[in-house]
Amino acid sequence: MNFKRCLVLLLIILAVSALAFSQKQAPPEGGTPRDFKLPPKTAFTLPNGLSVTLVPYGTIPKVTVSAIVRAGNLNEKENEVWLADIMGDLMKEGTTTRSAGVIAEEAATMGGTVNINVAPDLTTINGDVLSEFGPSLVRLIADILRNPLLPESELTRIKNDHIRNLSISKSQPGALTLERFRQMMYGDHPYGRIFPTTEMVQNYSIEQVRLFYRNNFGAARTNVYVTGRFDAKAMETALRQAFNGWSKGPAPLVDIPKPVAQKQFHLIDRPGAAQSTIYVGLPVINPADKEYVPLLVTNALLGGSFGSRITSNIREDKGYTYSPSSQISSRYRDAYWVEVADVTTDVTGPSLKEIFYEINRLQNEPPPADELKGIQNYLSGTFVLQNSSRGGIINQLSFLSLHGLKDDYLTNYVKNVHAVTPKDVQRITQTQIRDKDMTLVIAGDKKKIEDQIKEYGNVGETKK
Amino acid sequence: MRIPNLFVTSLALCLVTALAWGQGGNNFTMPVEYHKLPNGLKVVLSTDSSSPTVVIAVYYNIGFRIEPKDRTGFAHLFEHMMFQGSNNLGKMEFIQLVQRNGGVLNGSTRFDFTNYFEILPSHKLETALWAEADRMRGLAITQENLTNQQGVVKNEVKVNVINQPYGGFPWLDMPQYANTNWYNAHNFYGDLEHLDAATLEDVQGFFKTYYAPNNAALVVVGDFNPKEALALIQKYFSPIPSAPQPAKPDLGEPRQDKEKRFTKKDTLAFRPGLGFAYHVPERNTPEYYAMGLLDQILVQGDDSRLHQILVKRKGYTAGVGGGINYLLGTMYNYNGPMLWMASLFHDNTVKPDEIMAAVDEAIEEVRTKPVDRATLDRAMVKLRSSFYNNLGGLFGFGRADLLACFALFDDNPSRINTIEDGFRKVTPELILKTAQEYLRPTNRTVLTIEPKSGS
Repeated sequence: MNFKRCLVLLLIILAVSALAFSQKQAPPEGGTPRDFKLPPKTAFTLPNGLSVTLVPYGTIPKVTVSAIVRAGNLNEKENEVWLADIMGDLMKEGTTTRSAGVIAEEAATMGGTVNINVAPDLTTINGDVLSEFGPSLVRLIADILRNPLLPESELTRIKNDHIRNLSISKSQPGALTLERFRQMMYGDHPYGRIFPTTEMVQNYSIEQVRLFYRNNFGAARTNVYVTGRFDAKAMETALRQAFNGWSKGPAPLVDIPKPVAQKQFHLIDRPGAAQSTIYVGLPVINPADKEYVPLLVTNALLGGSFGSRITSNIREDKGYTYSPSSQISSRYRDAYWVEVADVTTDVTGPSLKEIFYEINRLQNEPPPADELKGIQNYLSGTFVLQNSSRGGIINQLSFLSLHGLKDDYLTNYVKNVHAVTPKDVQRITQTQIRDKDMTLVIAGDKKKIEDQIKEYGNVGETKK
Repeated sequence: MRIPNLFVTSLALCLVTALAWGQGGNNFTMPVEYHKLPNGLKVVLSTDSSSPTVVIAVYYNIGFRIEPKDRTGFAHLFEHMMFQGSNNLGKMEFIQLVQRNGGVLNGSTRFDFTNYFEILPSHKLETALWAEADRMRGLAITQENLTNQQGVVKNEVKVNVINQPYGGFPWLDMPQYANTNWYNAHNFYGDLEHLDAATLEDVQGFFKTYYAPNNAALVVVGDFNPKEALALIQKYFSPIPSAPQPAKPDLGEPRQDKEKRFTKKDTLAFRPGLGFAYHVPERNTPEYYAMGLLDQILVQGDDSRLHQILVKRKGYTAGVGGGINYLLGTMYNYNGPMLWMASLFHDNTVKPDEIMAAVDEAIEEVRTKPVDRATLDRAMVKLRSSFYNNLGGLFGFGRADLLACFALFDDNPSRINTIEDGFRKVTPELILKTAQEYLRPTNRTVLTIEPKSGS
């Protein structure tokens, strides 16, 4: 480097440091907002009760088809945990006219795979392929849904896979903590059963699997969503042909839990653990409640976003943890709020103290209007993102359907977010995020943390 | 200083809709405008009006591969420092600025770049450009902020590696076992002592060298006016001075001629894990494209050869995952030696040798006879489908990622519109030749994870 350039660089460096001491520039505001309208949709219902929604979206030449059935782990009996998952995997093992190999190859030839995902309330059969193959994908998914073979020949292998997955899950601190948290909150309700026992899985018979399908699958429980770029006419024809004539099936099972809202504490001992995994939370109002949107706003401000209070405190101020976050986890007519954090072992107590400090602070004083405004803008911005992808659009529509909400939940969402006042946030924190009614589960090194967490009450304990 | 002319490579918005319905013969194309500022900053603009949002991505040509030898993990620790304060934005203010304007943000450190991006309502483009320029111009970091982020990063390593069964398997472990050149083979997350040893001087020195505009690419994707965007970019980024860049170290890996096997004990795990990796052909060569299709044939999707034999026929595992640059990126976003890798979990009753024998059965098939046309066609469809998902991924961020890498590594972001051609040229013979050289057993590393006994 020659001297002259050195000098120039030095001057620039000096200028930059001088700037740091002068008054800071304010960020430019940007331009005028562009209108966001939800992508328009077409919906129709077949005579057998199956409902279809088509949403053209985007420029990428792909199409997503999701058939979402109102059935899942909720429909399992006490000794049937994961039966829904095993049935879901077996559905890909062949239909009355297609072998498993043919299903896999057909999907691949369209540029995709068929995925089956089982959740507490819903089972999703989903494919994402090049646009021109949309109608073929509809026919493939309909065949899997309507005519699964559920072959006995594959059952042992699928059960083994689940037993292996169970063993792997049971070695993960996050999974163990969630399991205990759900057990303590939901007791005997299916939402409280995260894992089966090995023996339970070993005992499942093909008759049980087939009965589960017959009892829980049918047109009236099913929504089919199509998003992306597609030929609407060809898709509608394919959908009508593929699903007409499927039997209506049983009405959805309604089994609303009564989760425990009281102070409880459990420690899962993991000797030598470098971190403590914390779950702390309680039941809250569910998406059908008119105060659900104010609850979402409150959560985003308290712990549900990068800039939120709990995250700012225990991550950006104290450095106790990497990815803390609070969330509202919802099912049909049910929801809980929970803060989840993996914190360094020797600051387990201090982390909890700060989490409760932030909850109490928001109970005791309304947030500054500025801070709330920022969160409201954040939620309106992320709302646009939630409705700006093929999968995101399906998630939103399926959410409405499960919770029995009308389109106005989405069309009024931004308005309702902005209507929340600082006093509302304080009130919601007082009435919903009640620290005295929380279930607390920690997986960590008991010897090192028990003194730090004495004040949270008597420790129920499991060895891991 | 020489001032390069601004140039525009292509503008093809009208083609997007026209080609979207092509039957597979044509590439899906998108608009790409490419400029270079006098200070060397590469600028790529690509419009898409699917939603009123905009992605702003800044890629610095510095990944963990070439971080300082006595500071493993430093490239990543430094990524955290970029959120800790610049001249006009104090700690947390960058994050708050993006959030309160309705956006999301993140950063990440990979083999050959560190990236920062925001996704915002499109009318906030200027706000984000100003903020990115502010932190490219200079950092204002205190010892307190550094100490804080050392704590956060150590917690990141704990939650992802130290306190997890199979932590680091195979993505962080495999490069360390399979590669021989330090740059490709060190612990990218960093030894905790190295993380602790980092000083404010290290931070400033690293910033001054690697975070100069002539070592970066700025990409904007989404619903915006390119002319207005370019004017704003010139306004905010042009005053930032360039800095001389050090010569890039030799990243080369010698040709491997003997299989390597390693075992790692994992006291948190209950079941064994198995991973295997092969060095892949150099980027952008004909064999590279063939390797991309071999990846589709062998390990992508339920129809893939490894899935069929390991999952369906033998029942060794519930799933086998893999890819080029597996778990740290795609086959498009790196610039140096790379691995094709696959991994699975299995039962204690099955020995790794049995599994590798089944793997060999699938691999030897593509090494001994040319694949049939139907297999190759299917691989091409799968590849295009997954490439389009890349393009559309994360609200346009996926497109920004490709554009930034093609600008940084190839000085040609328009490759995004022609890359499909490279795959189309691949013949069954080239697949065979590529498999014979690169899927040799002597070109691979096998890593087994030994769990604690019982359970």
